[in-house]
Amino acid sequence: MWQQHLVIAPILIPLFAALLQLLPWGENPQRYRRLIGIVACILTISAAVTLLLQVHQYGMQVYAVGSWQAPFGIVLAVDRLATVMVLLSALLSLPILAYACYGEDNLGSHFHALFQFQLLGINGAFMTGDLFNLFVFFEVLLIASYALLMHGGGKLKLRACLHYVLLNLAGSALFLIALGVLYGTTGTLNMADMAGKIAALTGDEAALARAGGMLLLVVFGLKAALLPLYFWLPQAYTMTTGTVAALFAIMTKVGVYSILRVFTLIFGETAGAASLLGYQWLWWLGLATLLIGAIGVLGSRDMRMVISYLVVISVGTMLTTLSIANERAVSAVMYYLIHSTFVTAALFLLIDVMAMQRGKTASRIVSGRKLAQHSLVAVMFFAAAITIIGMPPLSGFVGKLHILEAARVGDQANWLWPVVLGSTLVIMVALARAGSKMFWHTLEGKAGDTRSANGQLVAVMVLLSAAVLLTVFAQPVTAFTDAIANDLYQPQRYIYQVLGGSTL
Amino acid sequence: METLFAITVGMLTACSVFLILRGRSFPIVVGITMLSYAVNLFLFSTGRLVLEGAPIIGNEKPITDPLPQALVLTAIVIGFAMTAYAVILAVRARGEIGSDEVNDLDHSDAEGQR
Amino acid sequence: MNLLLIVFLPLLGALIPLCLYGKSRRIVSLATAVPALVAFTLLLVMATQTLAGAVPQVLVPWLPELGLNLAFRLDGLSLLFSGLILGIGLLIILYAHYYLSSKDDANRFFACLLLFMASMLGIALADNLILLWVFWELTSVSSFLLIGYWFHQSDARRGARMALATTGAGGLALLAGILLIGHIVGSYELDAVFAAAEQIKNHNLYLAALILVLLGAFTKSAQFPFQFWLPHAMAAPTPVSAYLHSATMVKAGIFLMARLHPALGGTEPWFYIVTLTGLATMLFGAYFAIIKTDLKGLLAFSTISHLGLITMLLGLGTSGAVIAAMFHILNHATFKAGLFMIAGIIDHETGTRDIRRLGGLRKLMPFTYVLSLITAASMAGVPLFNGFLSKEMWFTETVDQHLFGGLSWLVPVLATLGAMLSVAYSVRFVHGVFIDRPTRELPKVPHEPPFLMRAPVLIFSILCIAVGLMPMLLVGDLLTPAVASVLGSEVPVKIALWHGFNLPLLMSLLALVGGAVIYLGRQEIFNFNRQFDQHDAKEVFETTVQKISEACSYVMAKLETGSLQRYMALLFAVVLIFLIPELTAIQSLTGSRPQLPIDTVSMVGAIILILASLGTAVLHRQRLTALMMLSVVGLVVSLSFAHFSAPDLAMTQLVVEVVSIILMILALFFMPQRIPRASSGRRVARDILLAGFIGGVVGTLNYALITRPLESISHFFLSNSVSGGGGTNVVNVILVDFRGFDTLGEITVLAIAAAGIHKLLNNLRPSMPSSDVDGRPWHSIKHPMMLTTVAQMMLPLALMVSAYIFLRGHNLPGGGFIAGLVTAAAMILQYVSNGVDWVKARFDHNYQSIAALGVMIAMFTGIGSWFFGKNFLTSWFTHVDWPIVGEFEIATAILFDLGVYLTVIGATLMILANFGQMTTRHRPTQKGH
Repeated sequence: MWQQHLVIAPILIPLFAALLQLLPWGENPQRYRRLIGIVACILTISAAVTLLLQVHQYGMQVYAVGSWQAPFGIVLAVDRLATVMVLLSALLSLPILAYACYGEDNLGSHFHALFQFQLLGINGAFMTGDLFNLFVFFEVLLIASYALLMHGGGKLKLRACLHYVLLNLAGSALFLIALGVLYGTTGTLNMADMAGKIAALTGDEAALARAGGMLLLVVFGLKAALLPLYFWLPQAYTMTTGTVAALFAIMTKVGVYSILRVFTLIFGETAGAASLLGYQWLWWLGLATLLIGAIGVLGSRDMRMVISYLVVISVGTMLTTLSIANERAVSAVMYYLIHSTFVTAALFLLIDVMAMQRGKTASRIVSGRKLAQHSLVAVMFFAAAITIIGMPPLSGFVGKLHILEAARVGDQANWLWPVVLGSTLVIMVALARAGSKMFWHTLEGKAGDTRSANGQLVAVMVLLSAAVLLTVFAQPVTAFTDAIANDLYQPQRYIYQVLGGSTL
Repeated sequence: METLFAITVGMLTACSVFLILRGRSFPIVVGITMLSYAVNLFLFSTGRLVLEGAPIIGNEKPITDPLPQALVLTAIVIGFAMTAYAVILAVRARGEIGSDEVNDLDHSDAEGQR
Repeated sequence: MNLLLIVFLPLLGALIPLCLYGKSRRIVSLATAVPALVAFTLLLVMATQTLAGAVPQVLVPWLPELGLNLAFRLDGLSLLFSGLILGIGLLIILYAHYYLSSKDDANRFFACLLLFMASMLGIALADNLILLWVFWELTSVSSFLLIGYWFHQSDARRGARMALATTGAGGLALLAGILLIGHIVGSYELDAVFAAAEQIKNHNLYLAALILVLLGAFTKSAQFPFQFWLPHAMAAPTPVSAYLHSATMVKAGIFLMARLHPALGGTEPWFYIVTLTGLATMLFGAYFAIIKTDLKGLLAFSTISHLGLITMLLGLGTSGAVIAAMFHILNHATFKAGLFMIAGIIDHETGTRDIRRLGGLRKLMPFTYVLSLITAASMAGVPLFNGFLSKEMWFTETVDQHLFGGLSWLVPVLATLGAMLSVAYSVRFVHGVFIDRPTRELPKVPHEPPFLMRAPVLIFSILCIAVGLMPMLLVGDLLTPAVASVLGSEVPVKIALWHGFNLPLLMSLLALVGGAVIYLGRQEIFNFNRQFDQHDAKEVFETTVQKISEACSYVMAKLETGSLQRYMALLFAVVLIFLIPELTAIQSLTGSRPQLPIDTVSMVGAIILILASLGTAVLHRQRLTALMMLSVVGLVVSLSFAHFSAPDLAMTQLVVEVVSIILMILALFFMPQRIPRASSGRRVARDILLAGFIGGVVGTLNYALITRPLESISHFFLSNSVSGGGGTNVVNVILVDFRGFDTLGEITVLAIAAAGIHKLLNNLRPSMPSSDVDGRPWHSIKHPMMLTTVAQMMLPLALMVSAYIFLRGHNLPGGGFIAGLVTAAAMILQYVSNGVDWVKARFDHNYQSIAALGVMIAMFTGIGSWFFGKNFLTSWFTHVDWPIVGEFEIATAILFDLGVYLTVIGATLMILANFGQMTTRHRPTQKGH
């Protein structure tokens, strides 16, 4: 009786947890709140895992909220892609939260509640099959992120946060306009239904729908940090606290996910007059984003900045590859997405550890004092660096290989290969430089005495271990991402499932 | 009538965009609020314009498309929450940075500190 | 299976030293030697098959989709190299055990060494090009760690980074090349690649693939013009230099060329590129080897020179050349490793490697002296030593080639010149160190090192002589299969000591004599060389990277000015760029839907709206006025909702309007009161233009939409509202039932916003003006009598109204949200009129909990439906007949709406009350987070 409601669990668990954490809880509330948070994360993970198995076994799950069938009611349409993303965010959240529980959550109020709200928004965005509902969940995750971004306070944070908030407010307005246009032309909000309707459109109506689609692309591009819209990212990610930045490793992926979903399902190959909308733009802007990211990496004097630009690079890589528009490319994107999310998060936490142990040189790329746990942190940094650069033997190189092989030799490869390999070299040089400055070129005198809690280091290791697992089990993972790509390139299956098809 | 409506919405949008492009937080917030008005009108109008009607069953008035209205209602509430947050953020920025300038002209040397 | 072990034993063995921290050096060294030794024995066992002509292979699938498998092979070439790697590796471990000082971290050293050994073996044994690349990059990584072993020295750090950057770049090029080959062949398995040799060579991508692959090889093998990194890699401990930078890693490039020779070799481009590069490198290296005063520097450049020699041979690609190449790989490895170890011993014993300071060690270290004589003689190509044999074979090839037709004679001449130079620096090595008088006092008084430290060198020297005397017996069988796998066909290997008096012999003699002459006249060369400015590649590299990175940060600074105005402008610009093409595609903007006539009310409304919005935009610097204008806009908008038959919207808009205006006025109090004109005329013009376009686009879209008929899903809601939702107000039914999930999200947003704002307000010290714009102090009476009384009367009234609105909501305009806001507004009025203390005294509830509770109620209403086997948020309702009230409806929707009601009150008050309290002593503080 309960098992059918599993689909909605990844939304309800964080919601309930967050609400509980908002209650007063007497004298020493933080203890309870931490407990609630950790438990919630574990529950979400287990729910996500079971869901993944279910979906992999019995195919896509459709959950009609309020028992109102699509396209009239709101449905959660959970296919492989959705479950993977949910599982990803869940797996990410636990170590990060654990890390935060060593004091960073005391830097400001409501950290735990906001953390769970954030997850709620993210998971909802991944699972919903309704475009307006997607908007609502976007707003949930945005407002939560606004608040989290300010965690810990501070002047510099304020400016970055102000930019982030105002830009996204404008973005939300655009989202609503896009929704209006799409509803005004198709008369529906359910994505599957809309896909069918759009494919049938012709002439001016189709043009209108395309306009709506392009607006959506702008909105998602803003979230994903595509070139002319990425400006909010570096400052925001650099200025905020380590854990928040680590959690935000998934935020840009929400934008990428939305593009992947909407622009394969609604504006994909089968969309008639609106097919493959905006893919050209994605290709060129993606490449440009990659380049800018590389320049940023080389130009940054601060480790957090470097990582922020690595995020930009990863976004560029994913969107460019995505716009190659075939199953192989999508599969590559998915593998790379999973890999880069984990590593970026790990790096943000690691930099936080370093900054704390280095004392006043913090995360600036200058020679500072020896770390209290020098060799251990150094080894972790080395592993993380190897992975993010994309050098063997860790997951990075598998992702790069996937992407390089996805490009068509002759035309696409002529652009993609030089840019991707070039950026790889740039990252290699930059990180080698940073690493040797911070770990090799240490000042004389005794090491600092601020040690990080073992729990925190373990949290980072857990995130890093993903890189190892993704390499060892590259084959099964790839098989799964292939399946995802196959799903996305069979939109009619999705449509059938959501509309006519079986609903739990 | 439709023409008039569209012109009004366009005008509203234009003015709010102009405000959003200002350099200080307060006009921007005002602009955002006004933009949300414009957007609400836009979204609402996608149900098409009907005079003297109501989305209510049982009275003899002509029925209008209720869905966009519901959406706009949600949008209004969310918009309110967002604007509120933006306003307070602006106040805090003013309080800590001292001015309500939104342009950050000294971030380059600010790198590295939290 | 054993093949896998040969690679993975050292790989896993790399962990052993790390587990042995705190153990004695002896144990660590032994533990390190074990995996290498086992792997070596395994190799010997397997070797018998290979020597018998078989090619053992093993394949374990890893990532077939990418054509990446754990595939290994042991053909002649692999055997030759893995033999070198493991054999010399073992001697290196022995040597390093004595070389490393007690202060050095031996565990780290040996771990990296084994890691390197494993990756090198991987290259040698890989049967899959991608796999080969994987290990290729691993060697770059591990050598980075080994070169940077003494990371407290800046030379080590820079050298390591330069090596990584160069070889890493080459590796990436190699990857691209391999991918191209894979694209042509359709597989990365070597056999498939060899089989498709013709196909590759005739493909139009052949040249690209070749160049990319060669880039990889040349960077790794320090071929001109990529030789610059190798001398600086000498900052590494000497065992590393001996192992990586003479015997193994730098030969990886050579190996790659040999490995892919069957697939890529034998063509015009291959011939010219490889041969000429080799020749150039050979001369370049030889010349600088003479200049160098640092022993290891000398050896480094001589290594470069010899690598060039081998490359050249591979370029020529004749069977004889390949035999010579394979043979010289072997010889060079033996004598060069030996020489490096000697250099290390001297450094170890005397504390310096500078030839100018050394000299006369003959008496102090006779044994070492003899060893260096042997190895150096071999390097110089003195007859009866192995170096002589391969060098003479090389001469033969240079004589036989016809590179430049008429000018082909140039090649043997240059070859002889190179040989002369190599003789010269060999002599210098021995004479300068052991025979010359010491020019200055040495840091340490040298004496012979422990026997076991010399043992490896002894072995190498013995090999030099033995191979030199009976080459066929010792290495013939080893070379035959190696040559076969390079040429792709069996050829008899013949190495004779004596070919009779012929040109090559003459060249050798010339080389010996000329070399001696050059050595005697070396001072001239030094003087000659002094006139060039000695730029240090390391410095060049550093400064280049520095410059580039500065350029980058300059670009970023220009791009990311931190100006929100610019980012916003970009956002809207992108909107225009993306949308305008689509809009231009529209044929007829006006749709077929019959349009409504314009009535006066709408006309007036529109005009007011436009004027008010313009006013807001123009007067935005008189903030209070602008705010008033804004409220007018909001008011008219809500009226127009009413006018266009959306009563719910009208009401909602109205109350929201009230609350948000209050909020903004409050905010205004904390905002600066005088605003200087900020933006320049040009910016204003730009913004007006941009804004105008956006407005135009939105208006156009809007017009195009609303003039078209729409076939929407709403009919469903209209027809099911009563029967399924139990309400006649369809909008409300949609909100609480059909799309209740949205509403749940919406109130969640409210709750989050409230929490976030509370977070923002914590311990905030806002700037509060003590007087208004014109310096008048604020009015002394905080709470005017009139207002107070009215407000207090208003409260119950408002509560009644809100209750009414709430209850009728399901059937008529109204509902939880509006009701909630009305109540909230009334409460706020109390704050405004009576002050915070007054309210706190009477109504002191935790708004936060109220908000949370509200959302919870809504959520549990949804979960409740599970108990009836329904999905989340499935509604249920019934009509009951109550005595007085009459027929009345009970619906779960009401409960849900109650949640909304509470959330709205809680959130709104949490926001406004907290914010309002900023001016009072009740400023919110972070208590209990």
